Amino acid sequence: MREIRKTFAGIEVLKGVDFTVRAGEVHALCGENGAGKSTLMNILAGVHRPDAGEIVLGGRTHAGFASAHAAQHAGVGIVFQERSLFGPLTVAENIFAGRQPVTRWGMVVRRQLHASAAAVLARVAPDISTEATVADLSPAQQQMVEIAKALSLDAKVMIFDEPTAALTDAETRRLFAVIRQLQSQGTGVVYISHRLEEVFGIADRVTVLKDGAWQGTMPVAETTADDLIRLMVGRDVEKFHYGASEAVQPVLLDVRGLSDPTDTGGGKPMLQDISFHARAGEIVGLAGLAGAGRTETALTLFGARPQGAGEIRLGGNRVSIRSPADAIDAGLGYVSEDRKESGLFLDMSVRRNISAARLAKFGGWFFRDTEESGAARDFVAKLRIACRGVEQDTAHLSGGNQQKVLLARWLLANPRVLIVDEPTRGVDVGAKAEVHQLLRAYARQGHAVVVISSDLPEVLRISDRIYVMRAGRIAGEVSGDGANEETVMRLAARDGKN
Amino acid sequence: MEPQLRRRFVPTREIGVFLLLVLILVVFRVLFPVSWERFATFDNFASVVRNMAFECILALGMMLMLIGGTFDLSVGATASMVGVVTGWLMKHAGWPVPAAIAGGLALAALSGFANGVVVAKVRVNALITTLGTMGIFSGIALLVGGPGITFLPPSFTQLGQTQFLGLQAPVWLVIFLGAVGHYGFAHTRFFRQFYYIGSNAKAAHLSGINVERLQIIAFTLVGLFAGLAGIVYASRVATASSTVGMGKELGAITACILGGASLQGGRGTAWGALLGVLFVAVIQNMLLIKQVRPEWQGIILGLVLVFAVAIDSVLNRKQQR
Repeated sequence: MREIRKTFAGIEVLKGVDFTVRAGEVHALCGENGAGKSTLMNILAGVHRPDAGEIVLGGRTHAGFASAHAAQHAGVGIVFQERSLFGPLTVAENIFAGRQPVTRWGMVVRRQLHASAAAVLARVAPDISTEATVADLSPAQQQMVEIAKALSLDAKVMIFDEPTAALTDAETRRLFAVIRQLQSQGTGVVYISHRLEEVFGIADRVTVLKDGAWQGTMPVAETTADDLIRLMVGRDVEKFHYGASEAVQPVLLDVRGLSDPTDTGGGKPMLQDISFHARAGEIVGLAGLAGAGRTETALTLFGARPQGAGEIRLGGNRVSIRSPADAIDAGLGYVSEDRKESGLFLDMSVRRNISAARLAKFGGWFFRDTEESGAARDFVAKLRIACRGVEQDTAHLSGGNQQKVLLARWLLANPRVLIVDEPTRGVDVGAKAEVHQLLRAYARQGHAVVVISSDLPEVLRISDRIYVMRAGRIAGEVSGDGANEETVMRLAARDGKN
Repeated sequence: MEPQLRRRFVPTREIGVFLLLVLILVVFRVLFPVSWERFATFDNFASVVRNMAFECILALGMMLMLIGGTFDLSVGATASMVGVVTGWLMKHAGWPVPAAIAGGLALAALSGFANGVVVAKVRVNALITTLGTMGIFSGIALLVGGPGITFLPPSFTQLGQTQFLGLQAPVWLVIFLGAVGHYGFAHTRFFRQFYYIGSNAKAAHLSGINVERLQIIAFTLVGLFAGLAGIVYASRVATASSTVGMGKELGAITACILGGASLQGGRGTAWGALLGVLFVAVIQNMLLIKQVRPEWQGIILGLVLVFAVAIDSVLNRKQQR
C-alpha cells in the first residue's frame, strides 16, 4: 500500500501511509485508537476507498477496491474487530454466507455446506458444531466462527483486527497456531492488536501509526515494548502498580453465598455460592476465563439477572435488588462489558449518554438542560474525551473515547460501589492508562471498585486483591506478592479445562 | 467551549418537511392561481384543521410509541370502539354524558394497558399483539354499535361543536395537547426516558430505566389518546361510527415518520407529529380542490412519503461521511 490518504467528515484520518506485507510474514500494526489502523485495513479490505494512493497486490496495482467483494476476489481476507455474523443463522451458513455450494437449481447442498464448514472449523475451533445457531454461541466462540469464515477464503493476505479481544488464552494459542500455519503456506498476515505481548509473541515486523501518519516499521526482534509505546503515544507511559491500602477501611460491598435460582426453567444454574467483599478505597479484581461467570455475577448483583440464594450487603445494610434501578438506588454502578451493544446510546449525544444513569439529578418535570450540558462538559474536560462537543453523537467516537463516555456516566451517578466489566477492551495504550488512573482516583475518594477483565496483566496491575472465578464459583483469592499470572491462571483453570 | 464553533447547521426532518410544505404551497399558488383563491381562505383552513383533529390526537400518541422504538396498530380500532361504547353508554344505557365519557376513556386506557402488558411482560412482538387487538377492538365496535350510533344527546355534541375564535373545540384541544406534548417530550425526565429506550433498550435498562413499566405506561397513554380521538370525533359529527378509525393507525405512523420519527426509535418530536398530519391534510385538500379523483390520493401520498424519507436518509448518510 503506497501513500494512502483518506479523509472523513473533513478530518484527515490517513496522511499518506505506506505499508507492505511480504508473503509468509506476520506484520503487526500498532497505534492508539483513532491512529488509523482500522481505516487502513478497511481500505485494504475494500470497505472504504482511499482518496489517494494505490494498493499493489501480487504484482497488480489497484487504486483501491470498489467493494469488499472485489477485495475478497483479489485475495484479501479480513477478520473484523466488530463481529459481522448473522445471529439467527447456523455456523455453517455464516462461514459460507453468500457462497454456499448450490445445485444447478440454486438449492443449497446442505451436506457439502456442513462438511466444508467443519473442515475449516477444525483448524480453529473443533468444539463448535456447524449446526449451532450463532446467536447461541459465546462471544469468544463467535469470534472463532468469524476467523473460520475468513480462513475459508484462502486469501493471499489475511487481516486480523483485534482478534483476541474476546478470546481466552487457550483460544488465543490456537489462533496463533493457525496464524503460523498460514505463514508457512506463504500467506501475508496483518495483525492488529493493542496487546503488545501478542505482537512480540507472533509478529515478524511491526509498523506503528500515530494520528494517521506512519511512525516507523521495524523487525520485532530489534525493538522493545517501551519503544513501541513511545512511538504510539509520543510520550513515556508511567507504569502503575498499587499495593494493598495500608489502613483497613470499612467493607462497602459484601456478597455472601450468592447463587442462581435453582429453577431457571430449563437452563442449569451457573453461579454457586459466590462470596466476596470490597472495602472503601479498594480496587478488587474479578479474574477468570471466559464463561467462568464473572459478568453473570456482576449482572446478578446489579439486578439484571434473577438472584437465587444469598445476600448482598452495601455499607453494612442488607439490600434487596430486583432491577438495575434498585441497584442504582442502593449505591451500585455497572459499566457493561459491551459498550456498543448494552452500554452506549450510539445515536444520542455525548451529553445525553453521560446523564443517562442519573437523570433525576437534573430535574423531573422541569428538566434543566443547561445544567446537564454543564456537567457533561466538565466530564469531557476532566476525562479528556476527544469529541466535537457534548452534542456530538457517540457513534463516531473512537473506542477509547466511547469507553470514557460510558465511564463518565457512572462517575456522574457516583455509586458507592462501581463494577467495571472489561474497562479497556479495544482501547489503546494511552487511554487504557487514563482509565486505570480514573478508577484508582475513584477508589481513593472512598468508593469501592470491582474490575472484571480478561486482560490478566491489567487485573494484576490495578487490583489490590483478586478473586478468581472458575465454572460459576469463586475458586480463590490472591493478593500482594502472591498475585501473579501463574497463581491466577492456576486457580482459573485448575480442573485442567484449559 | 470552542468545539461549539464547529457545529454546522443540521436540518432536521421537521424543518425539511416544513420547507417542503412551503414549497408545495408556492408551487400550487403559481400554477393554479384560480384554485389558490379557493384554497387560501380562512374557512378552508378552519375546515382542514377541524378534519385534522382526529388524526392529530392519534399521531401524538403514536409519536410517543415510535420514540420508544415500538408502535401500536390498534389505535384506529380503539378509537372506533371507544367512540361507539361511549355513545352506547349515553344513548342506550342511560348514563349521564360525563359518566359515559369517563367510562369510554377508562375503556381506552384499559385496552392500551392490555396491549402494554402483553408486549412488555409476556414479550409478544408489538406488531403481532396490536394486529391482534386491532381485530378484537374493531369487532367489539361492530358488535356494540352495528354500523354506528346516531343522534347522540345534544349536551354531548355541543362539546365538539363549540367555537372559539373561529375554530372548533377539537382544534383547541389539539393545540393544547400538542403544546403540552412538545414541552413534555423535550423537557421532562419522564418522557426523556423513552428516547433512551428507543435508542438502546438494553443500555436503558442497565442505566436504571424501568423499561417494562414505561412501555406499559406508553401503551396506556396511546390507548387513552386513541379513545379521546374517538370521543372527540363522535361529539363533533354527532355520530359514533364503528369504522371511523379504520386504516387511521397507518395514517398516524405515516404522519409521524414524515414529521421526523424513525422506526428504529429514539427520534421524534410532538410538533413533528402535528406537522406530519398537516402536511398530509394540506396535500389532500389541494387534491380535493383540484378535483383529482380520490384514487390518486393514495398514490400521491405514498410517493410523497417514500420521497421525503428517502431524501432525508440520503442527506443523513452524506453528513456522516
